[in-house]
Amino acid sequence: MSTVVGPARYVGASVHRVEDARVLTGHGRYVDDVSLPGMLHAAFLRSPYPHAKIERIDVEAARALEGVVGVWTGADLAAAGVYPMQIPEPAPPDYLRPVFPILATERVRMIGDPVALVVAESRYVAEDALQLIEVDYEPLAAVGSAEAGLAEGAPIVFEEIGTNLIHHDQAEYGDVDAAFAEADVVVRATWQQQRLTNTPMETRGGVADYDPGRDELTYYAATQGPQLVRMFVAGLIQHPVQQMRVLGPGDIGGSFGQKVGVTREEVAVCFASKALRRPVKWIEDRVENLTVGGQAREETAEAAFAVKKDGTILGLDVKLTMDHGAYPLLPISTAIFTTLIKVMLPSFLRTRNYRWASQTVVTNKAAYVPYRGPWAMETWVRESMLAKVARELGLPVEEVYRKNMIPLDEQPTTMATGPTLEGMTARDTLERALKLVDVPAFRAEQERLRGEGRYLGLGIGVFIEAAPGPPDFGEITGLGAPRDPARARLEPDGKVTVFTAQVPHGQGHETTLAQVAADELGVPFEHVRIVHSDTRDAPFTLIGTGGSRAATMGTGAALAASRALKGKILELGGQVLEAAPDDLELVDAVVRPKDAPDRGMPLAQLAQVAYFMPPEGMEGGLNANDAFPQPRGGWVAATHVCVVDVDVETGEVRIPRYLVVEDCGTMINPAIVDGQVRGGVAQGIGLALLEETVYDEDAQLLTSTFMDYVMPTAVEIPHIEIDHLESEPLAEVNSRGVGEGGAIGAPAAVANAISDALSPFGVAVDRLPASPARILELLGRA
Amino acid sequence: MNDVRLTVNGVERHAAVEPRRTLADFLRDDLGLTGTHVGCEHGVCGACTVLVDGEPARSCLMLAVQADGLHVRTIEGLADADGSLSPVQEAFRDEHGFQCGFCTPGFLMTVEAFLAENPDPSDLEIREALSGNLCRCTGYDSIVAGVKLAAERLRSGVGVPA
Amino acid sequence: MFYGGRWSLCTLFSELSDCQARMKPAPFTYYAPESLDEALALRAEHAADSVLLSGGQSLVPMLNLRLSQPSVVIDLNRVQGLGGIAESNGGLAVGALTRQRTAERSSLVAERAPLLAKALPLIAHPAIRSRGTVGGSLAHCDPAAELPAVMLALDAKLVARSASGGERVIEAADFFEGFLTTSLREDEILTEVRVPGSPAGAGAAFHEVSRNHGAFAIVGAGCVVQAHEGTVEDVRLVFIGAGGTPMRARAAETALTGQPATAESFAAAARDAAAELEPSSDVHASATYRLNVAEVLARRALTEALEVSA
Repeated sequence: MSTVVGPARYVGASVHRVEDARVLTGHGRYVDDVSLPGMLHAAFLRSPYPHAKIERIDVEAARALEGVVGVWTGADLAAAGVYPMQIPEPAPPDYLRPVFPILATERVRMIGDPVALVVAESRYVAEDALQLIEVDYEPLAAVGSAEAGLAEGAPIVFEEIGTNLIHHDQAEYGDVDAAFAEADVVVRATWQQQRLTNTPMETRGGVADYDPGRDELTYYAATQGPQLVRMFVAGLIQHPVQQMRVLGPGDIGGSFGQKVGVTREEVAVCFASKALRRPVKWIEDRVENLTVGGQAREETAEAAFAVKKDGTILGLDVKLTMDHGAYPLLPISTAIFTTLIKVMLPSFLRTRNYRWASQTVVTNKAAYVPYRGPWAMETWVRESMLAKVARELGLPVEEVYRKNMIPLDEQPTTMATGPTLEGMTARDTLERALKLVDVPAFRAEQERLRGEGRYLGLGIGVFIEAAPGPPDFGEITGLGAPRDPARARLEPDGKVTVFTAQVPHGQGHETTLAQVAADELGVPFEHVRIVHSDTRDAPFTLIGTGGSRAATMGTGAALAASRALKGKILELGGQVLEAAPDDLELVDAVVRPKDAPDRGMPLAQLAQVAYFMPPEGMEGGLNANDAFPQPRGGWVAATHVCVVDVDVETGEVRIPRYLVVEDCGTMINPAIVDGQVRGGVAQGIGLALLEETVYDEDAQLLTSTFMDYVMPTAVEIPHIEIDHLESEPLAEVNSRGVGEGGAIGAPAAVANAISDALSPFGVAVDRLPASPARILELLGRA
Repeated sequence: MNDVRLTVNGVERHAAVEPRRTLADFLRDDLGLTGTHVGCEHGVCGACTVLVDGEPARSCLMLAVQADGLHVRTIEGLADADGSLSPVQEAFRDEHGFQCGFCTPGFLMTVEAFLAENPDPSDLEIREALSGNLCRCTGYDSIVAGVKLAAERLRSGVGVPA
Repeated sequence: MFYGGRWSLCTLFSELSDCQARMKPAPFTYYAPESLDEALALRAEHAADSVLLSGGQSLVPMLNLRLSQPSVVIDLNRVQGLGGIAESNGGLAVGALTRQRTAERSSLVAERAPLLAKALPLIAHPAIRSRGTVGGSLAHCDPAAELPAVMLALDAKLVARSASGGERVIEAADFFEGFLTTSLREDEILTEVRVPGSPAGAGAAFHEVSRNHGAFAIVGAGCVVQAHEGTVEDVRLVFIGAGGTPMRARAAETALTGQPATAESFAAAARDAAAELEPSSDVHASATYRLNVAEVLARRALTEALEVSA
């Protein structure tokens, strides 16, 4: 069964994107391009201390500065009725939920904690005003690491919860003790992944526009989840949610998970607009973004794999510590990320025996936010352990994989942690990748070059991703399985508008969903327009775009709504053409009898009938809503193979070859798929080699500009070869999410490649990023 | 306030500005040319790149007053008056050389200047020339492909308006 | 002379009472003099309350971040006569306001100062070099910057003018005093740098390690080598990112002069040179890393310089 009924003309083709024309000519509309009459500009005063009491704030001089229209402290907001934040229920049991104000009042808990809001005629003047605000701080001892946060006598960051251990979890599957007792060898290692930040090229921001006449608040936001923002902001500032609208400005400059929650800043800015009865714009600057925009990935895992000499894995034992930072990001508790790591870690391994423990620790750092594949630690840990198992047993790593991977013919089955595995092609992607790379030839070359003092290495990273995963995945992880709705509307000129719940920020949904709808309906691609990101007319879904749901769920919804609309079109056509709807077809925007194609009516004409002369009993115009239930299967699998060339005198790493073999099912737009994979891989390489948000032990931030936070450029990222296995569909919508995977597989492949290159020295990469300095440290040369 | 008189995309513009106003903010807010984007304001990301007297420059690192008497070209000035895309723009479109588009104007201006000086670049030369522009979405392959295609077309005159 | 810190804002936070929401310059009075005399008069008048704006690639980020909040900005870009590259006594006279990109494209530079020609393309990116000036980089004196190191290696002379004191010619060895500090007085403006020509047939090389392409070097080594019949006749060796200022390895140079131009003697010279360095640690690398890699880069640069020499 194929993805669409009828001939597929657009699905599978790399059509030019709808988004292209405006982007190429500089006519994209990002939130900083929004300009409204009377608009003011906001800037936040932020704490220079990671942990301190606020003794006194004096904003009088700031208020008096010419051009300043309003200044608020935390006390002012509280007095005006703005509620503090708290992760909402239902939160997982044992997840502690401190309450914290929009602007810090008595205490600051991170560098950059917002302490006051200034609104002025320009951002220049607002920043002048910031310098006039006097704050007396009493610095407190700060918690600079998860380890420090758990230590005896550690400062407690949120006194009301009495501990820095904001969450912990444990689970056991199968019989772990027996597995370890039976093992020939127990392979152990500790893996440390760094803190880093999403760094979209567009920082966060929004424009709040309060209309006093209607008591309506409109908020233009660079956000992945406008529905969430609407509900929470309205609630926090006590504005009727019915009278609040949140919409994207038209284009969002990337997010990768950073723009998915509800931020303190936007609550303050919406409040200010309403208080001042004027539009207020806030655009985060890059220093703010690198400081408080949101950080991710700081996890340490102690892992033990029980193995037999032949490479069979008998059981796993993993303990994870996550550095939560201080303030939670509303409304998502980080428990979902530790849960996802827990559930995904055993992945394609056959073993049933698995013990897990996690602890999530509050520190005086910026918030932990989701970042492209937020559970990716599971892949780095597992893949690094598999490579280590291979090294310790003296086996080629391919053999360890083959001994332990669940192949297609053993499915359907389940993962050790429960989710159904069906159509999971990890093994197939691995075999194909190994063939494409020609491992024996590489090994020969590697050996030869070692003789010349050159160190090449090959690393593998295999993973599967629930994109969106099988129906039981949502239940097991607590993510749920919400249906994704869409609405399709026939326009008076015969064109079609599809309203999606998706919120694109670079993924090309305006194109991909139009491809699907056009094929399903039987109209030219150019006749379909996708409308998105506006709470006024978007169908409701909590998430917006995130969690790799768009390719399946967003697509499925567009498909279902288009199909439903087509049904109504054919029904109307039947009445007008005096035929049975089943005898009609819609091809190239013409409704026609299947056996008499020249006796059809253009859809444009039929639309006029629908609008002006609807037959009795039919609604005027034509609309169809539908939602899409999560289908079977839903697994994406990929193998990443990386070849590195390590300069053992300087620690620099080059990547002469990088290959991805991935299976995301049917590709709607191959160029867009490849773009997503490569973008993800680039971020994974950045994680492996370059990027790190560094706090010292006193939680002072050392990386607040691009001079210190190192981003990958076109020189560090190699050409990335991609091979696709479009596996057989299990469901009508065979397309699966590919947005996050590149970032999940790459750190493992790169780190394993470096470890392979350095194996003659008996060292391996167990801490990221593998910067030149870290590599020389491993080699005892720094 | 200081007087600034400059040419932007071939059109003479004139305004009074505070000397501390950056060229980037002047272009975006005073002239309404929002195609030039601001990504870092400390000269690293390249999103704000424009052409000043034909050379690429970070508009976040210039004061608007410094542009007095100069010729500035922004992304809005790349396409023809009738809207037809330049060869570089078309090549980027054909190679899917962007996703969210935020970095794209900076890349296009950089590439425009680069190919004028180096019409037959190697892959490595292209990557080095692009290393002053950060992209978070594409992983750069499609951008490099766009530059190669543009170079090819410019050299052979294919797809280039007469 | 205040240009703030070396991009690690952390060291400056303790000096500030607020932070992290400042990306627009504070107000200042702006002058764009059209003659050097006018510029010098302004500088004399405003002295430490003013900053000099040339390329702006180091200064404007500081202004944007409010790490520098001068009351007066004196823009030198309209001053006549401060740009241009001319022959001078077998070497070069480079006007302080010469754009780095202009110098990069100059065949005169390639011919007479191959080390300068090798170093220029390593500076950041073309968009930075199209505005950045030779003089500006020298006056800024960042220890990770290439141009101060090149001038130190080549024994350049830096020419300063002031309203009161006329012209002063400063040896490179006396010019770069400390971290972001030169010996320029408060009322002086750097107008020109005079670069002695390298001997015909000398080869030059500049090797550096940076975290990504175009970023500030973590550590680097530049050298000029002239050999005759297998013996080193003249060698210059200089390091960046290895101390508070560019570091010239004079002792190692002396020891290497007259030695056979071989891998062994280059390795020994690199070892000796690195031993004199005093690098510090930061988020990118430790002092030990810089020491060890300085030696490696010196060895590689010497080897390459010999290979390309005549």
